[in-house]
Amino acid sequence: MTRIIVITSGKGGVGKTTCTANLGMALAKNNHRVVVIDSDFGLRNLDLLLGLENRIVYTALDVLAKECRMDQALVKDKRQPNLSLLPAAQSRNKESITPEQMKELIGELTSKHDFILIDCPAGIEMGFKNAIAAAKEAIVVTTPEISAVRDADRVIGLLEANDIKAMRLIINRIKPAMVQEDMMMSVQDVQDILAIPLVGVVPDDERVIVSTNKGEPLVLEESLSLAGLAFANIGRRLIGEKIPFLDLNAPHDHLFSRIRRMFRN
Amino acid sequence: MQQSAANALTPSSPEERASQTDSTKTPGGSTQLDDAPPENAPENAPETSSTQGSPHQTPSPTGSEETPAPIPANPNLQIQLKSEAGRLLLRLPPNPENSRSLVPWSDLWLQLKQRLNGGDRFWQPQTVVHLVAGDYLLDGRQLQTIAEALEEAQLQLKRVYTSRRQTAVAAATSGYSVEQESAVTLFSQASTVNGQALDDPLYLQTTIRSGVEIRHPGTVVILGDVNPGGSVIADGDILIWGHLRGIAHAGASGRSQCRIMALHMQPTQLRIADKVARAPETPPARYQPEVAYIGSDSIRIAIATEFSRVNLNRSFG
Ligand SMILES: Nc1ncnc2c1ncn2[C@@H]1O[C@H](COP(=O)(O)OP(=O)(O)OP(=O)(O)O)[C@@H](O)[C@H]1O
Ligand SMILES: [Mg+2]
Repeated sequence: MTRIIVITSGKGGVGKTTCTANLGMALAKNNHRVVVIDSDFGLRNLDLLLGLENRIVYTALDVLAKECRMDQALVKDKRQPNLSLLPAAQSRNKESITPEQMKELIGELTSKHDFILIDCPAGIEMGFKNAIAAAKEAIVVTTPEISAVRDADRVIGLLEANDIKAMRLIINRIKPAMVQEDMMMSVQDVQDILAIPLVGVVPDDERVIVSTNKGEPLVLEESLSLAGLAFANIGRRLIGEKIPFLDLNAPHDHLFSRIRRMFRN
Repeated sequence: MQQSAANALTPSSPEERASQTDSTKTPGGSTQLDDAPPENAPENAPETSSTQGSPHQTPSPTGSEETPAPIPANPNLQIQLKSEAGRLLLRLPPNPENSRSLVPWSDLWLQLKQRLNGGDRFWQPQTVVHLVAGDYLLDGRQLQTIAEALEEAQLQLKRVYTSRRQTAVAAATSGYSVEQESAVTLFSQASTVNGQALDDPLYLQTTIRSGVEIRHPGTVVILGDVNPGGSVIADGDILIWGHLRGIAHAGASGRSQCRIMALHMQPTQLRIADKVARAPETPPARYQPEVAYIGSDSIRIAIATEFSRVNLNRSFG
């Protein structure tokens, strides 16, 4: 059965697209057939994070308008042929597609894919409604900030109301040093409020920004950075593997040896 | 006795504040609730709503007679779901002809889903639901959406009461039995006259998340947390069997003897009748079940077990 997962947050800029790109790539590397969908019509950028911008010919809107077939619109990743992207139209606004059309698109994709990841735009308006219309599961992304958590909480309530009850939480951009000094919400603080199962914690890491700019998801790195490892682990937890959470507080040298160990496994 | 049982909350009358140690920074004040439009009263205004000692209200030590008319937990802003003679009545908020409802369809749908999520443990499967739509205008698709939401909670929509011809036609077309009534008879029951007996308690097992507001013209019991950004507004008491981190307003129609009880009292704001208080900025070292009540004309908080003792001695109120 195809798993249809929306990656959403409420607040903008917390890392939805970064998570979608990395999880898509991580799952594809583990031999799952994955399609990632950019549902941010008007402000698309999933293609950039995946380094696929220059290969887009058609978009989801062209498929809906019957100007091309679905397989013509899908952009296959050269590095990882299990992964493809269904691009959003750049020039349109969020009202240019309806929840029904979103369901139609996704319906066309289910037979040939194991995972469909939908990158949701910020907010709870039309773009959100489109993105969740066909989803069966959700990954809620938040940063450990009060405003982000507040919005995530709101979104969780909306997902529940829309009968999407399989929800998991990613806490992104955590800074262990700040948490230790009590200057940032801890993982526990966030979980206390949101009360949905945690699927991963991703540290704040400049390399995320570098990888964004290069269009190369971190999980493609030869030797994984801590953030890359966190994303890879989330990918494995999604398919049911029991993987302990990284201890982000451990001193660095230990960390690297542990990463190396995990990498050999 | 009551002083010792009460921990410092922001007091809400000037005298009270003067009589207490300066352990809190936020000056509270009796809020002129009657000046605020009902839609944005509790949820949108927590930061600005505590005006310094309301001038048009003479603080009276005995309490409630002279309070400005507060906003009751206006049932006209929310759907109501209650059982009556073995079936459930789903009452929609009013939507008089030629004016917009205070509750647009998308909000109404959300409220319904939230109530159903929070209450589904308490209904027998296949309980029959009568939809008391009043003058709320519903088309066939909306009726079907309501029926589907009910079905998801294993409830069955059978009958529709409406004063709108269009709704009646849509309901009949969809195969429900329809009773068309005049708007007046339907909604005379839902009016909020002061001194009226409270509704039955509303019991919900759910998390009240950010953006959710529960209003009820009676006592509210929540088995779960009230998160920051969530609020509960009740004409009676409020009991939170969980963390209270959002806003709670008890006695919203003016009953100052109402109470707010929580296992873990860490509210954004508390209100009882016309009094407002905020939690102290430095949280206590350890949380334990507490009760908020009005004592000496301001909101006080007592440890639950202490409160029962004080309460039995009748040393206040
Ligand atoms: N763990 C991280 N460490 C450092 N930077 C990060 C991390 N995660 C995301 N970022 C940066 O934050 C910015 C926003 O990320 P991203 O575009 O994924 O967020 P988004 O939630 O999709 O935003 P939008 O709501 O606009 O769609 C990017 O510049 C990204 O590189
Ligand atoms: Mg994005």
